[in-house]
Amino acid sequence: MHEFRYERPATVAEAIRAVAHDPEADFLAGGTTEVDLMKDGVFHPDLLVDITRLPLRGVRRDGTMLQVGALTTMEELASDRTLMERAPFVVEALLRGASVQLRNMATIGGNLLQRTRCRYFRDPAVPACNKREPGSGCEAVNSVARMHAILGASPACIALHASDLAVALVALDAVVHIQSEEGERLVPLTQFYLMPGETPDRENVLRHGELITAVDIPLPPEGTRSIYLKIRDRASYEFALASAAIAVIMDGPVIKEARVAMGGVGTIPWRGFEAEEVLREAPATPDTFRSAADGTIRDPFIVPGTAFKVELAKRTLIRALTEVTS
Amino acid sequence: MSIATGRTQETGQGIGQSLLRPDGTLKVTGEFAYSSDLWLDGMLWGATLRSPHPSAWIRSIDVGPALKVPGVFAVLTHEDVPGEKFYGLEHKDQPVLAIDQVRYQGEPIALVAADHPETARRAADLIEVVYEVREAVTDPRKAAFDLTIPPVSVHGNLVRHQPVRVGGTFTADVVVTGEYEVGMQDQAFLGPESGLAVPAEDGGVDLYIATQWLHVDQDQIAPCLNLPKDKVRLTLAGVGGAFGAREDLSMQIHASMLALRTGKPVKFVYGREESFFGHVHRHPAWMRYEHGADRDGKLVYVKAEIVLDGGAYTSSSPAVVGNAASLGVGPYEVPNVFIDAYGTYTNNPPCGAMRGFGAVQACYAYESQMDRLAEACGLSPVEIRVRNAVSQGSLLATGQVIDTPAPLADMLRELDAMPLPGPSSLDLRELPGGVAQTTHGEGVRRGIGYGVGIKNICFSEGFDDYSTARVRVELLGDEPHVLVHTAAAEVGQGLIMVKTQIAQTELGIDRVTIVPADTTVGSAGSSSASRQSYVTGGAVRAASLAVKERLDALTADGRSLTQVLAEEGPVEETREYRHRRTFPMDPLTGQGDSHTQLALCVHRAVVDVDVELGLIKVVELAAVQDVGKILNPLALEGQIHGGTAQGLGLALMEEIQVRDGKVLNPSFTDYLIPTILDMPPMKLSILENPDPHAPYGLRGAGEPPTLSSTPAIAAAVRAATGLPLSRVPIRPDDIALAVLA
Amino acid sequence: MTTLTVNGTEYPLDLADPRVTLLDALRDRLDLTGTKKGCDQGACGACTVLCDGRRILACLTLAAQCDGREITTIEGLESHPLQDAFVRHDAFQCGYCTSGQIMSAVALLGENRAGTDADIREYMSGNLCRCGAYSNIVAAVREVARHA
Repeated sequence: MHEFRYERPATVAEAIRAVAHDPEADFLAGGTTEVDLMKDGVFHPDLLVDITRLPLRGVRRDGTMLQVGALTTMEELASDRTLMERAPFVVEALLRGASVQLRNMATIGGNLLQRTRCRYFRDPAVPACNKREPGSGCEAVNSVARMHAILGASPACIALHASDLAVALVALDAVVHIQSEEGERLVPLTQFYLMPGETPDRENVLRHGELITAVDIPLPPEGTRSIYLKIRDRASYEFALASAAIAVIMDGPVIKEARVAMGGVGTIPWRGFEAEEVLREAPATPDTFRSAADGTIRDPFIVPGTAFKVELAKRTLIRALTEVTS
Repeated sequence: MSIATGRTQETGQGIGQSLLRPDGTLKVTGEFAYSSDLWLDGMLWGATLRSPHPSAWIRSIDVGPALKVPGVFAVLTHEDVPGEKFYGLEHKDQPVLAIDQVRYQGEPIALVAADHPETARRAADLIEVVYEVREAVTDPRKAAFDLTIPPVSVHGNLVRHQPVRVGGTFTADVVVTGEYEVGMQDQAFLGPESGLAVPAEDGGVDLYIATQWLHVDQDQIAPCLNLPKDKVRLTLAGVGGAFGAREDLSMQIHASMLALRTGKPVKFVYGREESFFGHVHRHPAWMRYEHGADRDGKLVYVKAEIVLDGGAYTSSSPAVVGNAASLGVGPYEVPNVFIDAYGTYTNNPPCGAMRGFGAVQACYAYESQMDRLAEACGLSPVEIRVRNAVSQGSLLATGQVIDTPAPLADMLRELDAMPLPGPSSLDLRELPGGVAQTTHGEGVRRGIGYGVGIKNICFSEGFDDYSTARVRVELLGDEPHVLVHTAAAEVGQGLIMVKTQIAQTELGIDRVTIVPADTTVGSAGSSSASRQSYVTGGAVRAASLAVKERLDALTADGRSLTQVLAEEGPVEETREYRHRRTFPMDPLTGQGDSHTQLALCVHRAVVDVDVELGLIKVVELAAVQDVGKILNPLALEGQIHGGTAQGLGLALMEEIQVRDGKVLNPSFTDYLIPTILDMPPMKLSILENPDPHAPYGLRGAGEPPTLSSTPAIAAAVRAATGLPLSRVPIRPDDIALAVLA
Repeated sequence: MTTLTVNGTEYPLDLADPRVTLLDALRDRLDLTGTKKGCDQGACGACTVLCDGRRILACLTLAAQCDGREITTIEGLESHPLQDAFVRHDAFQCGYCTSGQIMSAVALLGENRAGTDADIREYMSGNLCRCGAYSNIVAAVREVARHA
């Protein structure tokens, strides 16, 4: 591990100041991604600013919204009664996302910033990784890939966004509170993540010194049905090959309103706007579901190892729609 | 170091009872000292520089930058190896440290000892090695058969070719063919390689190490250190699982070299990633089979070509090839056999021992073939196997007569008669997808499959296979007490109970202490090949009986045992125990009595497969195994569960992915082993048809379940999906996409 | 100087160089080697300990983050019924995962999640056992949960 200094400021403002004024500084929350990547030599901050004891923890109901402190743990959010009643698929995404031990450590803010599991990114001995070393190339595109993205991917990067939670939250149009020395700004989660494009090293809109302080989760109307469906190589403790987060409001056999997002397929948590368009005011039939799936998995960028994901992702979405509407 | 002590059972004792683990209390309190827990004040930490390339010339090594790091005490290369430069289980072909070239990714090149593990690691990374990278030889079939491929090893590219030839009729009414692949499996023990080497005043070294076979380690270490064997003393430290991966040396010579050079104790602990490079794996296999039968499904012939990739060095590949060949048709009567089994050298990771040892790969293929044959003959999977099953008196493909009970047909019938699990429960977590609750039953199809395996127990092909036990009865606190001393490695299998129980049974004395295993007693052989209950059990029994005979003579005059021990002192006997002699396979025909004991296990797998999403839920695994004699029911069941779970892993998820000689997934994030949610409940029926040649009639039990669970699960998935699925592990995409196509 | 409270004992810890995980601090500095290092990357559960009563992975936690927290390791259990149950049900073979399994199960009981075998399996699925003693682990946890 690279040498670093460790600080634990008492206030949010101090923490932000500490990071903002040191270009090699970084915040430390649950550490489940960060400490791992520091051991691997992928991350090498000079200063770690521990924010875990800042008063950014807890879930507060605010009308039709839940405001979740960024340092609330996955386990704490998963046990929130309101969330369980109104948006159970968020709870499912949390529970499927990690073991209890990891859920007790990992925070909501940190989860949104979870880094890719691309093994080439995580191994500094691999020279080509545009995410780690901009301009160096992409080993995954040329070597063996499987746990990689097919949407939002490009020859520059096919690293997958690994979060389960973020998939459910983009479906709900969650909003991220971002604090900096200049003040607070709000960014919808759907606009928070950046496609790799030519700059795979930039994964989101956060600027250095900005801290996620809270996430607003709009609660879907009562009567909304939801599901988080995750396909993986073993029964537990494993990342998604494909996942679907769906919320629908039904009117008899007709889908009145739908929210769709997919995981395991995109370089960012993938919101299925096209699918939502197809589903709105459509009958809940296999044909509808198939065209929603075709609409979502459009123009995939595949390499030999990820080709299977095109159909698997569609089926995952179709199954999720079938389950949630029946 | 923690010493496991025997303890008196309140009720019952001796063999047949479920004596609890004497080391169990230490293991549940965290006090049990695994090799990674050892600590001496002033000790140094070792680190290994490994090759990033699977094949390269080494043009130069500059250790200068590493030596300059404060805290570094020594940096060693092959030039510093004091004695012989090579070691190995069967051939001494593996360099202690690479000399002029590297033949696999991860091959050790240099060693560092420093006062902190991070310092040692960083210093190792500073060593400058100039490589001239070569094209790696990575296709085992090309390596074996294409003479234009440059030789990886000084022995060429063929480790062993073992034919088996019986009869001459290779036509039949019903013929099925198939090609099968088995991926490279890792033993993936939870406790990575580690050990502590302590320099001794006599110029020797004391090594505390997690291994499977102390004496074969000693045999390999001493010449490399240029020391007589009595100056290389090994003591078994706590072993965090083995499964074959600790049969070859890892850091034993390295730690000893650094300890001798620095005059300080040196500890090595591999990290998880290094562990993937630090031990051999299960050979991946490519197999082509042809089965011919008459219209009643009776086998006429089997032809097979089996290629096992041994990677860069020999390890135990020759014996693995021998097993694949001699057991290549399975436990079936086959009048005509034409098998060619090959082991190859390539620049892929070295492969060697893993639970099941060559029999696993062949079993997956021949059982897949039996299912195809059943279908072609219009018979059930059970019926085709029953019709061809061996029994006592049958001939193996090697011509060896099975001269002990082998009631395979009965075992299959019993398995078939076991009640099947009901439909999946209302708890959606019981369906494929598990806790992800991916279905309410849509797309889910149930499948049932059978697998039969036959495994040789103990070492085969003429190996002088024995164990040694020293048993001593003495007074301790005015009570008779037994000390049992062997060099046999307790790796979790429960040998410590078996030894205790045997001593209790033969001596009639409750109080038994198992002395820590070390090299001050004769060799026990390896904790592998399911052999320790047989061989070390036999040695403990023989030594106990010898002690008993002397005690009986001494008490014949009417004195009590306590009196005798008080007046005459302790009574001690040491005995070696050998199993029946075995013989090499004929190099041209494969014929010969190569095995001393054969063990059977049959599995039935019930799976639910979500054929649209490719998700597999193993609903239940049932097994019937003949163990000859149950020594400890609880521990035996654990062995069957464990072997079955590793077979499940091979069937559904476990594979070291290698591309161009490089390992792509050396981590527990990317190399998946079954979780508690993947392993279903088991139904077991354990038979006791004694083998009169073995102590108490027992049969080795740890490996057979590893063989048969894989093909049973694969067959069940085939039954559910209708897909050929000729490769394990089976992944969701293999099913989902194939069903689509 | 950081203070680490482990099993009720306060240990002063020099973390001038903070590159020390809780796992390495426990094992290498406090000589509490009962907590095991299986993968050192959060993928096996062997290093499970309790932090303020909640189960966490010591390998991905910096020791510095635990200043003032109450850490409980396997050495801190005082004849917990789970320990006895693990021995009686033979819920391990090599035992290397056992400290983590037991600490995870202790937390599981506290979380009231051991109602059914399916629950036990789900909430113990962050602890790998390569020896495959899973059935017996379920049996041991189930027994203690029933009698709790």
